[in-house]
Amino acid sequence: MSEKPLIEVEDLWVRFRTPKGVVEAVRGIDFTLGRERLGIVGESGSGKSQTGRALLRLTSGNGSISAKRMEFDGIDLLNADKKTLYGIRGNRISMIMQDPKYSLNPVMTVGSQIAEAYRIHATASASKARDKAMNMLDAVRIREPEKVYKLYPHQVSGGMGQRIMIAMMLIPNPQVLIADEPTSALDVTVQMQVLALLDDMVRKNGMGLILVSHDLNLVASFCDQVLVMYGGQIMERLAAKDLHKAQHPYTRGLLNCLPRVDGSHEALPVLERDPAWLEQQGGRS
Amino acid sequence: MIEVSDLNIRFGRGAAAIHAVRDASFSVAEGESYGIVGESGSGKSTILRALAGLIDAWTGTMTIDGHDLGLRRSKAARKLLQMVFQDPYGSLHPRRTVNDTLREPLSIHGFDAVDERIVRALTEVGLGREFRFRFPHQLSGGQRQRIAIARALILEPRVVLLDEPTSALDVSVQAEILNLLVRLRQVHGLTYLMVSHDLAVVGHLCSRIAVMNRGAIIEETSDEAMRTGAMRHAYTKQLWVASKGYDADALSAMVEFE
Repeated sequence: MSEKPLIEVEDLWVRFRTPKGVVEAVRGIDFTLGRERLGIVGESGSGKSQTGRALLRLTSGNGSISAKRMEFDGIDLLNADKKTLYGIRGNRISMIMQDPKYSLNPVMTVGSQIAEAYRIHATASASKARDKAMNMLDAVRIREPEKVYKLYPHQVSGGMGQRIMIAMMLIPNPQVLIADEPTSALDVTVQMQVLALLDDMVRKNGMGLILVSHDLNLVASFCDQVLVMYGGQIMERLAAKDLHKAQHPYTRGLLNCLPRVDGSHEALPVLERDPAWLEQQGGRS
Repeated sequence: MIEVSDLNIRFGRGAAAIHAVRDASFSVAEGESYGIVGESGSGKSTILRALAGLIDAWTGTMTIDGHDLGLRRSKAARKLLQMVFQDPYGSLHPRRTVNDTLREPLSIHGFDAVDERIVRALTEVGLGREFRFRFPHQLSGGQRQRIAIARALILEPRVVLLDEPTSALDVSVQAEILNLLVRLRQVHGLTYLMVSHDLAVVGHLCSRIAVMNRGAIIEETSDEAMRTGAMRHAYTKQLWVASKGYDADALSAMVEFE
């Protein structure tokens, strides 16, 4: 990766004020994203989703973000004003949320939502936006796009809703896509089709992709780089193809507790967690 | 223990009718762990719900332990068969404590020694008695699923229906719950009927596996075949390849099955 990375993050912290005190969700992580597929894996509560949200400054009201550096294409995301952020969010950096039920507008047909997403970010006639939306529905492997275009979110299944979300997020042709468990609601075969679509965007359009997932096998087979997070820190970073050779006991534990298609019926090892892992890193690696 | 033959389930009528399950037949021996895999909409959960008596619109025959399951179930039939649902966040009453959740089935079925049974059920699923008076919001996802399992087992059923019991959980918690399910089956000699979209989970827990596509059981395969990939039907093979992770070459070879 000789060219300048799309996103550079140095010493990122995300803290939440709660009645029980300050919770540190992300604790001093560094990473860069080029025109590649970066996977972030970890259990719930490891800070992987909050890392994605912090990039777009979407951390909720009681949270605060601090970092030595958080840049996208030379723009300081940390101190960017609202106007700059509006220009970036959805347009240049797009985000696919986990749950389509809460992310789609329930009183608008799915087709018009996708067309709207296009017209917000590009000047286009209504009919052009409609064609574009229809193509996008086709690209995310929805059968009979004309029929689905007119449906409301409650009329589509979870898997289809997820693909509609993906269509909506990809239609402005973003430079960076943050995908938070984008395929967890999908069947394996559809999941592979959607990943192939994301793969195309990375290869052909030079998009940078951050894939947040708990599915280690998926990340190992799909991504280029992987960050393994635990307790808001990066435990290990490695090339995805080497994930199965991971050294860190946490990564090993996560891999071992997965039942394998070609495994036996023996009891699965239970994941051991060691608070000392968090001390060793001392916030920074 | 479970016999299902020529099961057909239809929803809706006229042009909008959906034939959700088509001529499904299978049988599960006592103490066996039987799995059903398939993609969403394949009808796998619908079969479980029909067995549990949550769906009326079925035709065919279903028997449990030699007793025909009709549209109206006796108390004894209901006690024989219990179900654990997919979403531990939705399947527990948010305003009832663990104690209330576990006590209700006992009082419905007129069990004695209620207190001992509740404590024993909690211990069995690996939770201490300190969890007894907690509300669901005070529990993690894995702990909730343990309560859901305790609720099913407290009636001493012989058949447990498992509808994607670990798909809402982290992989580490999934391993704990799967281990718990394996252990409980051994201890109590339970018969499991488990539904999942995850071939690895089903292959881990079950010895025989039915594969469903668009409402029909297209193949019955074994855990051994799951390990080696020696399944007969091309659809099963495709699912198996897809479950191994992303592979652009395999994807281009994939086809739609009607």
